[in-house]
Amino acid sequence: MIKIENLEKVYKTEEIETTALNGINMHVKTGEFVSIMGPSGCGKSTLLNVMGLLDKPESGSYKFLETELLTMNDKQRSNFRKQNMGFVFQNFNLIDELTVFENIELPLIYNKVPATERKRLVNEIIERMNIVNRSGHFPQQLSGGQQQRVAVARALVTKPKLVLADEPTGNLDSSHGNEVMELLCELNEQGTTIVMVTHSSHDASFSNRIINLKDGHVISEKINKSRTEELI
Amino acid sequence: MQTLLMHLNTNNDMFKLNLTIALRNLWKNKTSSMINVSGLAIGLASCMLLLLYVSYEWSFNKQTKDDKNVYQVMINFDGPAGSISGTGTSTPNTIAPALKETYPAVKAASRIGDADTRLIANGRNSFKKIGRFADADILKIFDYTFIAGDEATALNAPNNIVVTASTAKLLFGTTDVLNRSVRFEDRVNLKITGVIRDLPDNTSIKLDYLMPWTLFENLYEWTKRPMWTNNNWTTLVRLNPDANAEMLNASIKGMIKKHVADATSSPMIFPFSRVHLYGTFTEGKSTGGEIEQLRLFMGLAIGILLIACINFMNMATAKSEKRAKEVGIKKTIGATRASLISQFLIESLVLTLCSAVMAIVLVEVFLPLFNNLLGIKMNIVYANPYLWMSLIGIVLFTGVVAGSYPAFYLSSFNPLQVLRKRRSGRGMWSVSLRQVLVVVQFTFAVILIISTTVIYRQIQYLKNIPLGYDVNQLVELPQDGQLEAKFELLKERLMKSGAIQGICQLSGSMADYNSNFWGMEWPGSTETDRHMVFSQLATTYDFAKTTGLKLVEGRDFSRQFSSDTSAMMLSVSAVKVMNLVHPIGKIVKYQGDLRRVVGVFQDFIWGAPYRKQDPMVVAFRKEGTGYVTLRLNPANTPSANLAVVERIVKDINPAYPVEFKFVDELYGQKLKSQKILGLLSNIFGGLAIFISCLGLFGLAAYSAEQRTKEIGVRKVLGASVANLMQLLSLGFLKMVVLAIVIAIPVANYMMNSWLKKFDFHTGISWMIIVMAAIGTIAIALLTVSYQAYKAAKANPVDALKYE
Repeated sequence: MIKIENLEKVYKTEEIETTALNGINMHVKTGEFVSIMGPSGCGKSTLLNVMGLLDKPESGSYKFLETELLTMNDKQRSNFRKQNMGFVFQNFNLIDELTVFENIELPLIYNKVPATERKRLVNEIIERMNIVNRSGHFPQQLSGGQQQRVAVARALVTKPKLVLADEPTGNLDSSHGNEVMELLCELNEQGTTIVMVTHSSHDASFSNRIINLKDGHVISEKINKSRTEELI
Repeated sequence: MQTLLMHLNTNNDMFKLNLTIALRNLWKNKTSSMINVSGLAIGLASCMLLLLYVSYEWSFNKQTKDDKNVYQVMINFDGPAGSISGTGTSTPNTIAPALKETYPAVKAASRIGDADTRLIANGRNSFKKIGRFADADILKIFDYTFIAGDEATALNAPNNIVVTASTAKLLFGTTDVLNRSVRFEDRVNLKITGVIRDLPDNTSIKLDYLMPWTLFENLYEWTKRPMWTNNNWTTLVRLNPDANAEMLNASIKGMIKKHVADATSSPMIFPFSRVHLYGTFTEGKSTGGEIEQLRLFMGLAIGILLIACINFMNMATAKSEKRAKEVGIKKTIGATRASLISQFLIESLVLTLCSAVMAIVLVEVFLPLFNNLLGIKMNIVYANPYLWMSLIGIVLFTGVVAGSYPAFYLSSFNPLQVLRKRRSGRGMWSVSLRQVLVVVQFTFAVILIISTTVIYRQIQYLKNIPLGYDVNQLVELPQDGQLEAKFELLKERLMKSGAIQGICQLSGSMADYNSNFWGMEWPGSTETDRHMVFSQLATTYDFAKTTGLKLVEGRDFSRQFSSDTSAMMLSVSAVKVMNLVHPIGKIVKYQGDLRRVVGVFQDFIWGAPYRKQDPMVVAFRKEGTGYVTLRLNPANTPSANLAVVERIVKDINPAYPVEFKFVDELYGQKLKSQKILGLLSNIFGGLAIFISCLGLFGLAAYSAEQRTKEIGVRKVLGASVANLMQLLSLGFLKMVVLAIVIAIPVANYMMNSWLKKFDFHTGISWMIIVMAAIGTIAIALLTVSYQAYKAAKANPVDALKYE
């Protein structure tokens, strides 16, 4: 599904240049659950952002289902993003002024989905995420785990081909963290492709494949046999 | 079609969602929303009230259709050596007919009598209302709306009368009064031939009923004679639309002199709509007038709105940075820039709209009070499209300007940037712009404080200028009807009653300059002295005793000297300009008669209190009647005294209602326009300062909130509450001090040029400036320190946990 070649990204400030990505080559197959790991500053978040079209690399190629994305202009990128990708953040990034239902509905509005259809889709996902009795609440009224469920629901409601998760359990205690990981697994089993950045090898163990980064390079790649076999 | 509908629908949904976010945001920050909305509402309301007043004054005499073709005839008086010494609005009774007869450019011309209240009765009750005499042409000059009667013939016969709707209702309880009879001044019966709609409040020709000039001539025989140099009446003309006023002015200039060889006056036409605002003339040219004050109010209105807008923008931009996260999320999910821009604009427009609604309510609530203060009758005409246009214009402008910074700036963010490191959104530019705005706002506020104080002090100063006579307990009433012939009887009975201490008759009111002359001759006077202008007043006995006027030399007119019937008194400044060393006993030629000077009195304020008084002559003349002036007995209450006086006056002069006027109240009228200026600048200056402080309060709150973490860290490291308050207040203090530094010279310059208009004026003492500076700093500090204290006292753990 994704083919990345020779990706380079340099952050410049007035004094220093930091190479965040230094010739990354990787691929993600449809239906895969890939974890990206590595120490702080290794470039894993940058990679995720590039994959999510939130950031632009200096050079390289990024093909998504044979479409080259790096040559697109901002508007095309934004359109592509909202049609194909969903995001889950460490700090949830829900809009405080909107209810659970409205937060989940928001991407559908931006995708110009008609109202009745929106209602159906949102209710469906709310049910699936087990947050039906929370749909009228505001984010502050929920626990961290519940907030992340809402965030996952919001990421999935548009039925994206790819879900990008940036440390989704980083702000959660272990039991809530596990809940979220199980949820992601479940989604993956139902066919959603997931790329996740994480610090935690426990979380990574839920995925099919683990990519290790250091200083902007892919230093190793490991197939998680238990999960992969299970999948097959 | 289907897709278009869908598109519209989703746009609509987005709009709804954005509106929801906006409203919930407002609700969540109730205090700051209230500050923001009410600050803007107060600003808008102040601006609207001021502009309402400005438009009231501005549309003075402009209600008539084609008001551009209506002119008032003015009279220029020759001064020495071909100059023009003055310009007056009173004209002789000959100008109007002559103009109409001679010049085809003049479509209609009318003499109009003065606006005295006169007696009108319906058979049982009589009322004193403003009745005017005018030529029938007045109906061609003004387009009075006739509710009943025929405009073309209403004033054609001498015994006709046209009444306004409210006069009709007063007399008969209905406007259906055509052909009914009323009695005028207890002398003639008149037939109502027209009912017109009430006139607007802002016209110079106010009236409650209108009578034909022919009736005036029948009632007062002497007015039938053509008198080219007796300036007593108003003359208005309507020119043909294609007429050239300049050319007409050139050809009518010698009109009076053609008929009276030694006349010293020449007529001039001047646009009627400009008389009210541009009524100050030098050398026969309009050099301003009330318009200057009006411009000041306009500036004040715009300034207040600006202050309120600045507040609004500052708060909106300050808060918007907190919203960066929301922008980031939306962008990640797929919001376009346009949708974000429209969201922020909608938000600020919603707020502005709330403020506008609140402002209209405020204006409605305070308008009666405002009218009362100013003594005028303004109302909001909601049917007026200009009102709505300007209101919508102001709302759109404020909303768009206030919303555009967050809209365009925030929507340009890279979502990553705001979601990751939230602070990077705070550019240097935005901070310094906000600081500039605060400085502008406070500069304006300080200028207002200084100006208001100076204006207040000047008015106090003018109030305290010694009048030259004792204005308290002094009452005057018109010498109507029998009061002239039976004056001696009146005097005797009143004095006996104990209600008064003195009584005299005067040719004019004590409170207002009303007559002058030139051409006096005295021992040692030269030809040029003949051009010297003196003010004049005629009286009989007890003038000084009644008014409390101070005599410097000689004595008042007295019965003990039979020759006093041809005597006169001079003011100190008259003696000075006449160069008389021993004035008492000198013989002076006054109005063609020789008169002996028997007394010299201290100058008293007759004209404008802030001008030097003209030299003055007070002459003995029995037939020069006009006003009866009384000094009430201070031993009794004024109301008890007046009750006694009224009974006696009514007894002697039963046909007339008794109308007293307190001279101190009349005198107060002289400073009316200064008082309005003082009043308005006090009210709106205070409001401007209040709004500025509201803004500062909001900004301080925001700044304290933004620095929560910093404050927490500092506190953990050992900073005291005082340290932190200083830290938070200092930034604001610097801006306020800068504003003061800018404002002082500006205010100083403005007020100095304002004070120059007065012959007598106070200075701008450094005390005022120091007080204004200290006051502003104190208010600003108080405002900011509340927020600073709150932030500094907060538990640092809460601050650090957050993030």
